Amino acid sequence: MPDYLETTVDKFIFRVATDRLYTAEGAWALADGDRVRVGVTDFLQQLNGDVAFAEVKAEGTAVAAGDEVATIETIKANVEVLSPVGGTVVEVNPAMELSPEAINQDPYGEGWLAVIEASDWPADRERLLDPQAYFEVMRAQAEEEAQKP
Amino acid sequence: MVVPCSGIGKTYGTVSREAAYEVTEDLRPGATGLVALSLLVLGDEDARAAVRAHPAVTIDGCKLACAAKMVEESGGHVAQGIAVLDVYRRNRELKPRGIAELNEGGQQLAHAVAEEIATVVDDLVSREEASDHA
Repeated sequence: MPDYLETTVDKFIFRVATDRLYTAEGAWALADGDRVRVGVTDFLQQLNGDVAFAEVKAEGTAVAAGDEVATIETIKANVEVLSPVGGTVVEVNPAMELSPEAINQDPYGEGWLAVIEASDWPADRERLLDPQAYFEVMRAQAEEEAQKP
Repeated sequence: MVVPCSGIGKTYGTVSREAAYEVTEDLRPGATGLVALSLLVLGDEDARAAVRAHPAVTIDGCKLACAAKMVEESGGHVAQGIAVLDVYRRNRELKPRGIAELNEGGQQLAHAVAEEIATVVDDLVSREEASDHA
């Protein structure tokens, strides 16, 4: 179980796991050597609501950092998840087929999307945000959302 | 009693309400009644009495499940809770859009939800009849 940074905005509580790196758009990357597990943040899943379907790029697909690695259809929107890392998809979370609600229930755990064999993880890692930096970005995004009518 | 979520201003809430209207007005008008969630929230005694006296079928547009929760908080029994999202997952071609007015997919999804509720209602009625005869 990772530790979390946590903030409350309006009536919502948002958590950021402290054991991984992030994009400002709300994707996370958790590396184990060059194999990088990716998923979406608690803020992104709460912002977009209940997940109806999640389609992840198939195993063997090459993605560049910033390419779409998954599309998540929620009750509010279709969300393109941009990969935080470049490489080849080597594993897709089988839960996405039958129970994509895992993204809502456990975004940093059971709701992971894919594992990517990174082609240059050291370079990609440099472009990502550490938990504290993402926490600040996310809090600003959440506060902006809270101001919307 | 059929209790849809209010979900005002939300597509899945509109689907739940349209499904409730179809069941209570067209599919099973004699066997069902409609209770507005807002009345339960306001503590309306007639609405509370209705859900206490009859099994409720709730329709929820999101995981907050306000309809199911309010029936239980009002002392009623949720005989079946239906989540619009679950029905959509089984009918992906019926993607709902729109709020004040649903698109074709949304209308068909509401119909699919209504059909599921009608089946639940038939089951509840037959069980009630069987227990009356026992």
